[in-house]
Parts: sequence; structure tokens; C-alpha cells
Amino acid sequence: MNYSLNDEQKILKDTARSFFTEELKSSLVREVEEDEQGYSRKLWESIAEFGWMGTIIPEEFGGFEATFFELSLILEEMGYAGYAGPFFSTVVLGALTILTAGTPEQKRSVLEEVSLGKRLMTLALEETGDGPSACEIATTAKKVADGFLLNGCKRFVPFAHVADTIICAARTGDGGKNGEEGISLFLVDRRSQGVSIEVLNTIARDKQCDVVFNNVLVSGDSLLGEAGEGWQLLQGVLRVASVAKCAEMVGGARKVLEMVVEYAKTRKQFGQPIGSFQAIQHHCANMLTCLDSSALLTFYASKRIGQGLSYEKEAAMCKAWVSDSYRKLTALGHQVMGGVGFIDESDLQIYFRRAKAAEQALGDATYHREIVAQLMGL
Amino acid sequence: MEIELNSRESAILEEVRRFLKSEVTPELLAESHHLEYIYGGEEGRKFVRKFAANGWLTPCWPEEYGGLNSSEMLMYAIRNEMAYARVPIHFAGAHMAGPSILRYGNDDLKKNYLLRLASGEIEFALGYSEPAAGSDLMGLEMRAADKGDHLIVNGQKTFNTHAHVADYHWLAVRTNLEGPKHKGISILIVDLKSPGITIRPMITMAGTRTNEVFYDDVVVPRANLVGEINSGFKYIMAALDFERMFPFGHYKKFYEDLVAYLKTVTRNGMPLTKDPLVRQKLAQLEIELEIIHHLYFQLAHMLDNGKIPNYQASMEKNFLTDFEQRLANTALEILGARGQLREGANGAILDGLPEWLYRWTVIETIYGGTAEIQRNIMAQRGLGLPRA
Ligand SMILES: Cc1cc2nc3c(=O)[nH]c(=O)nc-3n(C[C@H](O)[C@H](O)[C@H](O)COP(=O)(O)OP(=O)(O)OC[C@H]3O[C@@H](n4cnc5c(N)ncnc54)[C@H](O)[C@@H]3O)c2cc1C
Repeated sequence: MNYSLNDEQKILKDTARSFFTEELKSSLVREVEEDEQGYSRKLWESIAEFGWMGTIIPEEFGGFEATFFELSLILEEMGYAGYAGPFFSTVVLGALTILTAGTPEQKRSVLEEVSLGKRLMTLALEETGDGPSACEIATTAKKVADGFLLNGCKRFVPFAHVADTIICAARTGDGGKNGEEGISLFLVDRRSQGVSIEVLNTIARDKQCDVVFNNVLVSGDSLLGEAGEGWQLLQGVLRVASVAKCAEMVGGARKVLEMVVEYAKTRKQFGQPIGSFQAIQHHCANMLTCLDSSALLTFYASKRIGQGLSYEKEAAMCKAWVSDSYRKLTALGHQVMGGVGFIDESDLQIYFRRAKAAEQALGDATYHREIVAQLMGL
Repeated sequence: MEIELNSRESAILEEVRRFLKSEVTPELLAESHHLEYIYGGEEGRKFVRKFAANGWLTPCWPEEYGGLNSSEMLMYAIRNEMAYARVPIHFAGAHMAGPSILRYGNDDLKKNYLLRLASGEIEFALGYSEPAAGSDLMGLEMRAADKGDHLIVNGQKTFNTHAHVADYHWLAVRTNLEGPKHKGISILIVDLKSPGITIRPMITMAGTRTNEVFYDDVVVPRANLVGEINSGFKYIMAALDFERMFPFGHYKKFYEDLVAYLKTVTRNGMPLTKDPLVRQKLAQLEIELEIIHHLYFQLAHMLDNGKIPNYQASMEKNFLTDFEQRLANTALEILGARGQLREGANGAILDGLPEWLYRWTVIETIYGGTAEIQRNIMAQRGLGLPRA
């Protein structure tokens, strides 16, 4: 394995780092947490100017046609800077699903607007919050004369309240084995009659939503992919999205470690920098191990996805490991910083709360270890 | 779990339990939670005065100062019951400053403060930490100039938690700039309403409040000096030992509520508590709680037998505070995404307590002496390992 970036990738990463360093100061990160929309429109537009929403979108739809690996570099920088907003939901959960399952017509009508930053998207999948699973999907899509009628409640849908398009997984068939058959995906306009959305108050204040579909009528051509095959279509998307989440986490972990080590070098107690105490050195060394191990697994999984190689097991291993490591790293960070890290004014607490949310997103470590076990043939 | 008490004390503990069952109101619980169980809120004061009238706040103090002359065991047991009932449990006055006054204060101080502390009438705020002095309290810089019958105090404190609800400051100040640092510190009792004191909130990640406190030429009568001038470091160390007695009832209650809740949840067609993975995690916590019970009551036992706990107190603090973090995290792991919902959110579990504890318990291994400092104590005092 080649563990380094090529020149273009380096430039991309450096550009993203300096852009976010400049444009996303800690004060804006905080404003965004308090903001009802949960993102900065101005920043969104600047990101769109770079064309980053279109990183993995083919050129014919206005994108860059780069690989997932390049996208993961941007996501890492977003994680580093503490970006919160509908980028992940739009580009990973939305555009990637369309790329995987959409007809040429659907791709044309949706992806170009995504590339331009003109359409926000999300995926309404989970209902119970126990991690993505087919058998929990109870939302129904009933065939009617002029399309389908959607009914059901989705939970933990990121940024549904601002998404233009919600991809909703619903049952058109009777479920079959493990409930994996008979699930279909629909493109739903958030403003459709019968859609109601409530933003949930969560640990990370990250604008996850309850979405209720009450007799929502969608047209026949809003069906995404083959009827009844939604779950199979989503499998790949969810694995890739898990790695994408890991990229964000690795960025956050890197930032936390830098912040904490800097503090350990300058904060003095007992007449010396606290970083000279072995207890603190060991915490920092453990944090470093959490970071490097996470970065390596994420790098490897992202590369395989980017190169079109199989990635199921690598992705699951990655999300399982990084979910736990990032949480541990931020907790150790608090231990090193002492009281100041606990105060709202410290940025550390933002990363700490988000690490928990990221751990839960798209299945936690237990969930992904089970996938690894299955892939091991156990 | 049995707690060994004589029959008089067993009867008292039973009475305390009955009292807590009947007197704890939803308003008190709400206030207590939002003040993260410190004492000084309105509801808390109402409740504690009634509670303390029985001598239950300071049972092991002598009767003349408002105690019951009881064993430490009863004191530990009562505090743990209070924690279990989720009423205020952090009494900077009755449980930290008070014992030091009892040990080191002159008769006037004892008369002035002990009865009022024992009856829950007044509360103190601990004023140790400063921007440059956290773990290293010898680094204190706040100055008190000795003017004979009074002292004049200037400087800044940080993280003084009770300051916005308390009546008095238990204040560590530098009274001598010459000589070794630990021989230049004194303890003063300061009325927090004194002119020249400014209290500013510092809000924490858990949404709770601690404070910065600024002193600008604050006049403190000499009568409010605790013990000998320049001997304060000794008193702080003693008071910190009292602080380190961390009851576990609050976490036991949360654990019990969690288990009860999990019994009602089915996942993949079976009760969650039948899931082997969940069972393992809950059983582990059960074992750890049992250990904490022993670590905690062992401290009381030692005190009752005339021994001074040293590394054992550090071990209890560390084991409990580490446990709290494991408990909160395990709860969130088992609850899945729903665990991250905050109090009041649609679908929040146990009214958002798991999520709040996850944020809150971060600080438990830091304040009251960090986990690293406790481990240093255990290694050096407990095992005789050399200092770096
Ligand atoms: C919510 C909250 C409430 C508080 N309430 C009060 C209060 O009411 N009154 C009050 O006076 N204070 C209070 N404190 C302060 C608290 O006691 C201190 O935060 C704590 O003692 C640690 O000090 P510090 O934060 O300055 O960390 P530091 O002392 O700077 O420590 C930073 C890191 O260095 C480590 N370290 C330091 N020295 C050593 C060493 N010798 N060996 C190994 N590791 C070392 C620490 O363990 C920690 O990991 C409170 C703090 C908070 C956050």
C-alpha cells in the first residue's frame, strides 16, 4: 500500500485546510450549533464555488468525477474544522444514493443541482434508532393510480428540515426474508403535503430530525431504482457512508490531539509544563494511537472504495474501530485539559459531543463488528 | 447490601429513608438536577433545613455543634441515601469546610458557623482554584494583605462552583510571599456579599454553572481567619480529604432505572435484557457497583477505627468516577441513537438523563483532584514508590 497522497490530492487537502481555517472560525462553529438551520448559507455557497459538492459526481452532471478517496480528504478537513451542515447528507447520503440507483433522467435532474450547491438532500432510513436495519422499516408506500402514497415515521434523519429532497425508504412489498425484500426508495420533495418535520434536540445539536409521512403522494417516476430492491441498493451506499463518517471523525480527532498537545506544552503546574508528567504523556500517546490507527483504516477503506475494489469488510472494520477510538480520544483530551476543557468556551467539548453523535451515526461499533463477524463467515 | 450499624443508628437510617421517600418533591428534584446536586437553591434550602433539623446532615459531629455523635458509617450511609434520592449532595460547608473548622477553628469560629452549617442554614463555596493554580494549589496567587485587625484581599478565583448560591467563601489566599510556597497560604471565611466581590458565571459542557470570582480590595475581619495564619495549606489538604468521599447512590439509582427501562424494550423480537451482549454489560456494571459499595464504606470503617484513609480515598474517588463514565457510555451504547436525545426532546429516554450524564461525568475524573493526581497519591503514599 502506498500511504502517501499524490500531488493533486495534496493540493486538494491543503486547499480545504486553508479554506476552512480561514472561513470557519470557532465563533462560526458555535453560531451554527445555535442556528435553527444548522448551517451557514454563506459558507455553503463558498463550498459550492469550489465545486466540492460535485466531487464524486460525473462531469456530465456538472461534477468533478473524482473518486471517493478525494471526497474523503475533504470530509476529513471538514471534521478537522468542526464543519456542521448538510454537506454529508446531501453529497454522501443523497447524491451517492442517486448515483447508485437513479435512472439517467433522475441523475440529470438531481445531480447537476447538487453539484452547483443548489439542492440539499438527505436520506430517511432509520425508524427506531438502532442502526440501519431492513427489518425495522415499517413505512409503507402504497401503489395508487397516480403514484405512491407514503405513510410512516422516520427518526434521526439528518438535516431533513432544510433538505429539498428526501430519499425515503418504504415498503412496497411484504418484506420477505429478514424484511430485506420489498423495500423501495423514493425521491420526496420536502415541501410535499403530508410531510412534517421536527428537529430533535441531541447531544451534538446536529439537526437530526423526526420526519412523519402522512399520506404523502409521490409520482411514479419518483421511484428510485427497481421497486422492492431498495435495501440491496442501499447496502453499498451505507458502507461507503460509514467510511465517509470515519473521514470526518479522523479530521476531528486530529484537531483534538493538536489542541490538547499544544495545551500540554504550555500549561504549567508544579512549575513545569503538564506535558512533562508521564501520566499526561501516556494519555497523549494513547490519543496518538487512537488517531493513527483510525486514520490508517480510513485511508485504506477510502482508497479501496475509490479504486473500485471490494470494501465491505474494510468499511465495517473501519467504522467499528473509529467509532470507539474517536470517543476515547476526545475523553482522554478532556482528561489532559482539566477543567478548562469542560467549559463551554473550550472547543474541545464541541468535538467531544460530536464524537458521540458520529459514533452512533450509521451504526455504532457493536453494529459494525457484527457485520465483520458475518463477513468472517461466523 | 448490609451496612453495619448499631440498633440506634439503624433506626436513624430507616427514618432518613422514610423521610426522603415522603418529603422529596418533583420541584426539589428538578432544581437539584439543574444545580447538579449542589446545595444552595431555594427548594434545596427548604428541604435541607427540615432534613438537617434532625442532625442528619452532620450526624458524626458532636451534639453541641448540631450532630448526633454518630459513627462515620452512619454519616456515609446517610449521604449515600441522599445521593440515591437525588437531593443536593454536595455541601461545601457541612461536608468540606465544616469538618476543617471543627478540627482547626477557634471557639468563636466554631460557635459562629458550625451550628448554622449543621442546620443547613448557610452554605459555603470552595475558593481554591485560580487560573494558574489547578492541581497545584501551591501556585495560588490571590493576595491578602495583613492589616492587623483585618485583611485586604485582591485577585481572581476560577471554577468556584457554589459561589452564586452560597453565603460564604472558604477562601485560600497567599498571605506570605517569602519562604516556601506552602508556608504562605491562609484560609479565610468571607461573606460573599462583601463589597468588592464580583461573581461571573462559567457555563459548562453539561449546561451547569461554575463561577469566576474577582476580589477588588475586599475587607475581611481578622476574626474570619481559620486556624493559624500561613498554615492554610495543611487545612486545604485536610478539607480535600473530606471532599474525596464520593457517594455513589446517584449512579446506583440511575443504573437501576436503566435496567428497569431496558426490561421494557424489545429489539429484534426479544427483550433487550435477554440480549447476551446487553446482559454482559449490565452484569459488569452490577459487579462494579458492588466494588464501589465496599470501597466507599471501607472508608467509613477505617475512620471509625481511628485510621486515616489515604490511598483508599483516592482509589474510591477514581474507581467511582471512572465507573460513572463507563456507566453513562454503556447506557448510550445500549440505547443506540435514542440515547443522544436531550431532556425534553421527543422520545428522550429517562428524560434525557443518559445523555446528560454522558456530558456531565467527564468532569468527575478532573475536579476534586484529577485522576492522575489520585494515582500519584496511590503510587506514592499507598505503595511507597518514589516521586519523579
Ligand atoms: C465544573 C467544575 C467545578 C469545580 N468546582 C470547584 C470549586 O468549587 N472550587 C474550586 O476551588 N475548584 C473547583 N474546580 C476546579 C478543579 O478542582 C480543577 O479543575 C482541578 O483541580 C484540576 O485543575 P486544572 O483544571 O487547573 O487542571 P491542571 O491542574 O492544569 O491539570 C491538567 C492535567 O495535568 C495533569 N497534572 C497536573 N499535575 C500533575 C502531576 N503532578 N502529575 C500528573 N499529572 C498532572 C492533571 O491530572 C490533568 O490531567 C472545579 C472545576 C470544574 C471544571
